[in-house]
Amino acid sequence: MKPFHLCSAIELRDAFLKGEASAVQIAEHFILRIEKHNKEIGAFLSVLGPRALLKAEALDKKRAHNKPLGKMAAIPVAIKDNMHIQGEITTCGSKFLKNYKAPFEATAVRLLEEEDALLIGKTNLDEFAMGSTNENSAYFPAHNPWNLKCVPGGSSGGSAAAVAARLALIATGSDTGGSIRQPAGFCGVVGFKPTYGRVSRYGLVAFGSSLDQIGPLSATVADAALSMEVMGRHCPHDATSLDLPGESYTFPKNLDEIKIGVPWSFLENLKPDVRDNFNHSLDTLKSLGAKVIHIDLDILKYTVAVYYILATAEASTNLARFDGIRYGVRSRNAKTLENIYEYSRKEGFGPEVKRRIMLGTYVLSAGYQDAYYKKAQKVRTLMLDAFEKAFSDCDAVALPIAPSGAFEAGSIHDPLEIYLQDIFTIPANLAGLPAVSVPSGYDSRGMPLGLQIIGPQMCDVPVLQYAHAYEQASRHMQIPPSYIGSSK
Amino acid sequence: MKDLPYELWEPVIGLEIHVQLNTKSKLFSTAPNRFGDEPNTNISVVCTGQPGALPVLNKEAVRKAVQFGLAVGSKINLISNFDRKSYFYPDSPRNFQITQFENPLLVGGLVTADVNGKTMTFQINRAHIEDDAGMLKHFTSFAGVDYNRAGAPLIEIVSEPCIHSPREAAAYAMAVRAIVLYLDASDGNMEEGSLRIDANISVRPKGEKGLRPRIEIKNMNSFTFLEMAIEAEISRQIALYINNPQRAPIELIPPGTYRWDPDTKQTILMRRKESADDYRYFPEPDLVPIVLTESYIDELRSTLPELPHDRFRRYVSDLNLTEYAASTLINEKMLSDYFEEALKICKNARSLCNWITVEFAGRLKEKGKTLLDIGIPPAHLAKLVQMIEENQITGRIAKSVADEMVASPGMDPEAIVRQNPDYQPVGDIASIEPLVDQVLAENPQSIADFKQGRDKAFAFLVGSVMKLTRGKASPQVVNELLRKKISQK
Repeated sequence: MKPFHLCSAIELRDAFLKGEASAVQIAEHFILRIEKHNKEIGAFLSVLGPRALLKAEALDKKRAHNKPLGKMAAIPVAIKDNMHIQGEITTCGSKFLKNYKAPFEATAVRLLEEEDALLIGKTNLDEFAMGSTNENSAYFPAHNPWNLKCVPGGSSGGSAAAVAARLALIATGSDTGGSIRQPAGFCGVVGFKPTYGRVSRYGLVAFGSSLDQIGPLSATVADAALSMEVMGRHCPHDATSLDLPGESYTFPKNLDEIKIGVPWSFLENLKPDVRDNFNHSLDTLKSLGAKVIHIDLDILKYTVAVYYILATAEASTNLARFDGIRYGVRSRNAKTLENIYEYSRKEGFGPEVKRRIMLGTYVLSAGYQDAYYKKAQKVRTLMLDAFEKAFSDCDAVALPIAPSGAFEAGSIHDPLEIYLQDIFTIPANLAGLPAVSVPSGYDSRGMPLGLQIIGPQMCDVPVLQYAHAYEQASRHMQIPPSYIGSSK
Repeated sequence: MKDLPYELWEPVIGLEIHVQLNTKSKLFSTAPNRFGDEPNTNISVVCTGQPGALPVLNKEAVRKAVQFGLAVGSKINLISNFDRKSYFYPDSPRNFQITQFENPLLVGGLVTADVNGKTMTFQINRAHIEDDAGMLKHFTSFAGVDYNRAGAPLIEIVSEPCIHSPREAAAYAMAVRAIVLYLDASDGNMEEGSLRIDANISVRPKGEKGLRPRIEIKNMNSFTFLEMAIEAEISRQIALYINNPQRAPIELIPPGTYRWDPDTKQTILMRRKESADDYRYFPEPDLVPIVLTESYIDELRSTLPELPHDRFRRYVSDLNLTEYAASTLINEKMLSDYFEEALKICKNARSLCNWITVEFAGRLKEKGKTLLDIGIPPAHLAKLVQMIEENQITGRIAKSVADEMVASPGMDPEAIVRQNPDYQPVGDIASIEPLVDQVLAENPQSIADFKQGRDKAFAFLVGSVMKLTRGKASPQVVNELLRKKISQK
């Protein structure tokens, strides 16, 4: 059979189930790839070699005894390092939590493990998932496997880079304003943010609780769908978890009768190569039978402003618990209670996290709350209404993933300019909508670009169906040349 | 302080009462909601604020809170929300409290209480659900935090500033406590902190319209302290105004938080409120709104138990108890239930009440115990009173029997009487008559006095006969004999 890392997750699982490969071989193969490539890519913050091998041995035994095997059997899965694997360190890419051993298992992780996934490592991220480049990791930045000088996107940059370089076949991400889809787009892989509430947030270290959603990054849409069949379950530990049965995915070949809406007025200033790529993607959708129509979503011009008020407001309280009292790193210089708070947070948090905590504290403060937080909430409601209206005319909305492909690390210094990177991905978070990023080709520098398809709430299956049809018709999914070769 | 012209001033008092609900588990987690265990044993990832942990609302807490709302006639919001209240303190595991700020579960309501024999109603402004903090413990070289209490469910009941004396404040607070006891919503134990009272207090010259600056006294853990603290604070404020008539009220009474020091009997400043605290309230995104249906509320309404004030009215109008006796009984639900049990055997409610709240309470007070925890069954107490009723024993013997019942709880009073010949009543006229004759012969003056209408003289004669029988004679028989003989003279 072909090298394990050139398989899709489903192909590899089937090979294992058929006995063409052992789980231990698979685990060893990917651990070796990580050992070889992680130094240059920086995708993983920790590798769970012994754990993965132990699980692999158990799976081989199960298979030998003809015991039932799970849907994720022997698939190497990487977990973003803001989700708990019980007993392992969860750093959130922050110095503050460098010693934090998770006391419980995230629901999404538990579901993956119960379906026999090989949890192979924890992936790099912007500190507390705050960033769009992975440069805000307190440990080391992750790099884009397509060009190591370029950022992989963020905040799930490590997950995207890991899948792009096939150091794992599936990785989990969390998406608050685009943190799954934008790095997926930058790294040329599939990234899916489900409907808010579809995947339990229990065990995900919160950034913006009303926006956060866990989802998969993978090489193919079908692999993302498989992950969703496993992770998309109601969870009693998360009050916002949708109380719906799990869904199964089938993939129709064409898009007849499907209407795709495009808010053209929102896309006026697109760069030429991104615009060309987007138009080309729309042509592909049309060739599959879809009808492309114009829709009005002018309100989306307030997206970034609204997001950076609401997300930071929630974050400023979510991160208040990191005080050095119960866990995490307490400053050695602290002598008094005030010191513990002040120094631990000063030493433990990076500049972007501090900036957002300050911003969030400010917008919630007495005298400012009406002008910022409450007004932003109102605009968010208007956006929900606008999407609802749009979806009465179309089945899905298409947008580019980002204003550009991956850029060079260190090339953008202005935080505002970085924030604008998220302009096309944030709307789905504000409205709680399912949205996928699927590879759509390359920009003028040869960096991957992504097409985003956004559906109405609960329409996770249709969104991945459209993405699958597009993926099969366009076949842009590729592996960066330097990572095709086997490590042996 | 005694010389203050108290009558020229009007205190304005509002109470915030935190009631810890006696649910099995905590408000947002499955950790046990239990007091008194080893520190940090009743905790979960939620109540220690672990990253990634999420709150899930305890429905039992909502039910108990709604029952309270029904008991006081609040408007029950069919949709209410939780908010985050941000402040940093080590006992707050997330450094924000989950409470209801904008849109509370309960709005309005009335609490009826007996204040020195007068029935008064007090207005509730709102009541909401929130979670409790942990507890700081200070040791010689360090401080620790016990999170056992963190996340315990509370309802905070906020009164209107409609209370105008320390006595009213205590009566209102006792009535609130009685209500939650009757609902079995809380154990109402103030010493253990299951019921905590903060008081906001200002004073103003009678007739003045606006409110003067107020201060807050925190956490008074008994009704006695509540009354004393408010009393002291009122005096302090009045004295300041009187001694500094030229200064602005806000200078004299700057807003601040005080505590009551039972040793010095003064309110002590804990911290000034320099500016309004900014808690940065905003909707809790991890929780969905509490959504209730009318049918749910109707069902709870139809299953409400008898409430303390209903019982109070029944005791006063049907059973003829004094207001004072009735409120003493109803304020302790267990005592009142005890009374109800006893009433099934002995119908003399006033006498029963007296034996429960005066005789036995007095005997047990020095032991620091109650009828319930010492284990005297209501039936025994009722039998004792019933024996007096039926003239089987005199009141005086009954007191001795009561002593023995306290000394050996569980002993049936009938058995105590049966076993002790001294307690057998002397009811036969033949044995009493000579003693009556003897007393009459020795006290001609008393007879004369009685004939002139002095009842005291008759009582003296009765007492003298009783003395000779060592209290064993039936007072009724002695009475009849004496009257008969005097009228014959």
